[in-house]
Amino acid sequence: MYAGIDIGSLTAEALLIGDGGIVGHEIMSVLPNPVDSAREVMGRLLKGKGLDWKDIEYSVSTGYGREKIQKEGLAQENLSEISCHGFGAFNLDRQVRTIVDIGGQDAKVIKVDGKGKLENFVMNDKCAAGTGHFLEAMSRALDVGLAELGPLALRSKKPLEMSNRCTIYVETEVIHYLQRGAAREDVAAGITQAMAERVVSLAKRVVPQNRVMITGGVAKNEAVKKALERALGMAIVYPGLDPQLIGAYGAAVFARGKGGGS
Amino acid sequence: MITLGLDIGSLFSKAVVLDGDDIIGERMIPTTGNVAREIPTLMADAIKAAGLTRDRIECVGATGNGQDLVKGADFREDVVNCVGAAAGFYVPQAASVIDVGGQSITSIALDEDGEVVNFMRNDKCASGSGRFLEMMAAKLGVGIGEIDAAVRRSSRVVGISSQCGVFAESEVITHVNNGEDKNDVMAGVCASVAKMVSAQGRRFGSSGVYTVTGGVANLDAVTRIVHEKLGGEFQRFPFNPQFAAAIGAALLGDAD
Repeated sequence: MYAGIDIGSLTAEALLIGDGGIVGHEIMSVLPNPVDSAREVMGRLLKGKGLDWKDIEYSVSTGYGREKIQKEGLAQENLSEISCHGFGAFNLDRQVRTIVDIGGQDAKVIKVDGKGKLENFVMNDKCAAGTGHFLEAMSRALDVGLAELGPLALRSKKPLEMSNRCTIYVETEVIHYLQRGAAREDVAAGITQAMAERVVSLAKRVVPQNRVMITGGVAKNEAVKKALERALGMAIVYPGLDPQLIGAYGAAVFARGKGGGS
Repeated sequence: MITLGLDIGSLFSKAVVLDGDDIIGERMIPTTGNVAREIPTLMADAIKAAGLTRDRIECVGATGNGQDLVKGADFREDVVNCVGAAAGFYVPQAASVIDVGGQSITSIALDEDGEVVNFMRNDKCASGSGRFLEMMAAKLGVGIGEIDAAVRRSSRVVGISSQCGVFAESEVITHVNNGEDKNDVMAGVCASVAKMVSAQGRRFGSSGVYTVTGGVANLDAVTRIVHEKLGGEFQRFPFNPQFAAAIGAALLGDAD
């Protein structure tokens, strides 16, 4: 049995794999201390499966406090979350070379080589444009739920152009469009288009390569995915696993390699 | 010659009446979605404040984002040239101007004759703009007119690390929820704005004589830190700096 432990800013994930594949996984809200989070989330997973810590042959930690978790003996090794995310995505689909990960507060584009090893990455956590925060602000301005924004945008036949990049200015632009009587779906499509443009300009810095996988909360918005495909001129695939678990999965696959599994 | 300058900005619209180079009337209103219909009243009020009637105005110049909304203007001019004209004329020694408007920060380089030779504008990002300051003050429940007083009451500076207005707003809320004093957070917001303004100012080596215009220039809490950071010699714009572009538009009307 091989384990991956990923401690994020909001949630902690644990995942177990055997030689055959995923044995089980667990997600919970983080505790104040990452070591406690790691012990608790893996403890819950093991208990649920009727297993014990002794059954883990090799464990890899990633995310917040990954070094401390290793020092406390809960993992034999630790790896950065970017490496684990890239390796996890690659192992879900061996054709993947580029991973676009858009979270609530940041956006990352990760490139991996033909073995799933991290080649390069870029990140934006300085500007809200092109992150989930942008979509949240816009769905408020449009007065629709975050989940409805995508379906609404997909109904548009002529997306409106947003002339600004800054979230604050686009918000004003959205309000102006609505005041002038623009169709809500056309405004929504303009928003997803603007979102995609920001992500593409980030992605271009690493020269994206086929196949591209999209992960993170924003991946749930299909209109953004479609706009990204158009802007990149590339098809984008979804992961065949809850996107929250990809880091833990990557860590566990890495652990299996180190632990002599196949 | 009596001229009128109008600056239809992103947050405020201003009108100024000049007799030669003397300001004899001025008025300011917030820019709303209805501003096109409010401009005639704004002009009329400024003319009235000058103790004149419309027929005495020989030239009307319009500038700002909404300059096209001004009907019957004799000319329209970019805000950079208007701010440059006003600063060049009233602060003749200035080699540069930093204009902090509602949606932009612009640094303008002037030659010995007060002519604009170069400029650099950040209007892509709200960071450090009047809008940024307005958003943060609103979250703190501090009115724009009370910012200086709030900062004077602060006992320390609670720093804001994000440049992005959206992220900075979340930071402000977190600080308030953690029980930080709103005056201390306001001081942090002003320090952050000052940092972004001076970064823009430094582009034209504001080590010489410079002035600061735009609504944010009215805030001592911001300009004090800008001067510390920039060095050089600061000379105050001799009128309300928020009117600089409108004054410039009126001045250019006399020159034409």
